Amino acid sequence: MSEFAIKAEHLSKLYTLGKVGTGSFRQDIKRWWMSGVLKKPDPFFSEAMESDASRIWALKDVSFEVKQGEVFGIIGSNGAGKSTLLKILSNIVKPTSGAVRGRGRMNSLLEVGTGFHDELSGRENIYLNGHFLGMHRQEINSKFDEIVEFAGIGQFIDTPVKRYSSGMYMRLAFAVAAHLEPDILVVDEVLAVGDAEFQQKCLGKMHDVSSKLGRTILFVSHNMQAVMNLCHRAMHLEKGNIVDIGTASRVVNHYLKRHQKIHRSQSWEQIEHSPGNSSVRVQFVELIPHVKNEGDPITVRTPLTIRFKFWNLIEGQNLCVGLHLFNSGRECVFDVCSVARNYERGLIEGHCEIPGDFLNDGSYYFSLIFVKDTSVELFYLEECLAMEVEDFRENMNWYGKWSGYVRPRFPFRMKQITTEEKVLL
Amino acid sequence: MDSNRQGGGSNTWEIKPDSYWFAWRLRELWEYRHLLLRLVRRDFLIHHQQTLLGPLWIVFQPVIMLVMYMLIFEKAVGLSTDGLPPALFYLSGIILYNLFAECFSGTAFTFIQNGTLFGKVYFPRLVIPFSVVVVNLIRFGIQFVIFMTLMFFIEPDQLIQYPHRWIPCMVIAIIITALVGLGMGLIFSILTAKYRDLVNIIHLIVRLMMFATPIIYPISLVNEKFRIWVYMNPLSSVVELFRFGFLGQGTFTFYQLLYSAIVALLLNIMGIMLFNKYGNKLQDVI
Repeated sequence: MSEFAIKAEHLSKLYTLGKVGTGSFRQDIKRWWMSGVLKKPDPFFSEAMESDASRIWALKDVSFEVKQGEVFGIIGSNGAGKSTLLKILSNIVKPTSGAVRGRGRMNSLLEVGTGFHDELSGRENIYLNGHFLGMHRQEINSKFDEIVEFAGIGQFIDTPVKRYSSGMYMRLAFAVAAHLEPDILVVDEVLAVGDAEFQQKCLGKMHDVSSKLGRTILFVSHNMQAVMNLCHRAMHLEKGNIVDIGTASRVVNHYLKRHQKIHRSQSWEQIEHSPGNSSVRVQFVELIPHVKNEGDPITVRTPLTIRFKFWNLIEGQNLCVGLHLFNSGRECVFDVCSVARNYERGLIEGHCEIPGDFLNDGSYYFSLIFVKDTSVELFYLEECLAMEVEDFRENMNWYGKWSGYVRPRFPFRMKQITTEEKVLL
Repeated sequence: MDSNRQGGGSNTWEIKPDSYWFAWRLRELWEYRHLLLRLVRRDFLIHHQQTLLGPLWIVFQPVIMLVMYMLIFEKAVGLSTDGLPPALFYLSGIILYNLFAECFSGTAFTFIQNGTLFGKVYFPRLVIPFSVVVVNLIRFGIQFVIFMTLMFFIEPDQLIQYPHRWIPCMVIAIIITALVGLGMGLIFSILTAKYRDLVNIIHLIVRLMMFATPIIYPISLVNEKFRIWVYMNPLSSVVELFRFGFLGQGTFTFYQLLYSAIVALLLNIMGIMLFNKYGNKLQDVI
């Protein structure tokens, strides 16, 4: 296990924005004449190449090692250099400096269905795609039936793929890829496409490949749950640099902390500048997650407390406050409110407890509504708090999106009441 | 250390920033022979599925050209064909030049046409232009059947009496013609990817080169002063060789043939070297 499968050393990749060269033959000839023959300073070079603005380091001095049999996750936001790294590993682009060493046959899946042609039958496309991915004819021949079965396209095998439904097309494309048997598999976000069932199938297959066959897998994904469950170790890239590298759960948690769109608290010191009107003004709102360590992400299990303070500006108002929770689709998940009663002028504090094991994973935001006499809206503080609820699963082989708005854990028990022999009797 | 990544035997591999002029990797290319054959198959399936006449289109085009040439150049203008049967004279030039033109223009856009594919998967890029050449050799073979049929009716004696003459001449002519097309195509595939304005030139070259090739005229008809220009064209002696092989008459010398062969080889060596050197870098541009 200590043997490395891939070892990247000081990998860097420089992209020059715009075109390399001037893009036109006339310009390049002129440039060559000026700099190469007349030995004058190159006008193009000095203008475009030396200004840092037009040069982008997609990767900068990236070194890491993947051990044999390890599942290695790569995470990072868009433009972090993940795709560039995969392209270098796949030998599609050359690094600007640095080197990669590896042991064993490697295959990359930067997309499924590479080289598929619409006019050709499923059968032809299986062979074509397989060959593009570096499979031999005998290899495809021996796995052909398995591939067709995995894709579930049966009698349509000799139909041109342009007549396939998009689901069938995807299944066929993935089926070929799934039957690759390299020592090292490099997988890009191919799982982002397709329905939940399909994603589940893909992730399950990857799980099999790594755990049963002991293959090394490099895996780029935005599905943090999948990374956490499948990967042993992970690497977090940001703007071409390694931010973090280590055990998958630690790196993912760290990543989530950095990237959660959080609005955990808001406060207004001066009453004049605080949101509100002549009746009420809000001083402070806060979301407190009850997590083990400060800064841990909020998961579906985390209990939450919402605290708020506001000034009541009118003596003896009958007030109640409602807390609205919205999901990312702007649908109201719940609307809870306090008991209405009369308050004197001054500062009023309130809090609301949301138990753990209640919300499903996703993005949420809170709004506060202030109501007078249980019927008149005084003030509506929209989107004052926002949070991301992360998934949390244990002993689970299902990686797809958990359905439902809420995710309670109601008591749910089953037991066997008879065994087979008794039924037969 | 072997830089050959996906080759069967080698277990360790390495990716480095440099690309080399001389990294030919012929063994890796051989590993991908099945891909090449599939691409050839794909080409025929795509072009002839759901068409009315199917592969007949391949012979249709040269036959129409032949009829037009005979009408215009033989009947209307009255150009000499060196005393050779006009149908065979024209058709030999047409199919041979077709082979060159298709090999050239078919490979000259390799990087432009396959940019997205090259961005998604690694395989030896030379597989693509090589498959184009194989496709066109097969097409040539089909057109050649028409030529042989005409030969059989017009000049059966030549066919039967001199197989030791026409078989080697034919093979040499085909190889050199295809190689010239491939070599030029490889060089231009790099250039067109880098400079899009060169795309327009490809078809122009194909048309202009036809006038410098003895297709509608025999070399013997060319003014002595201009002959040097026709002989600069590596295809000229080859076309004449082809005709000599089948019809027993053609104007060329051994050295002209040698020149054509050397040009064809140099073009390919240059093309493959450019391919190795710049093929990977182009991915950043396309």
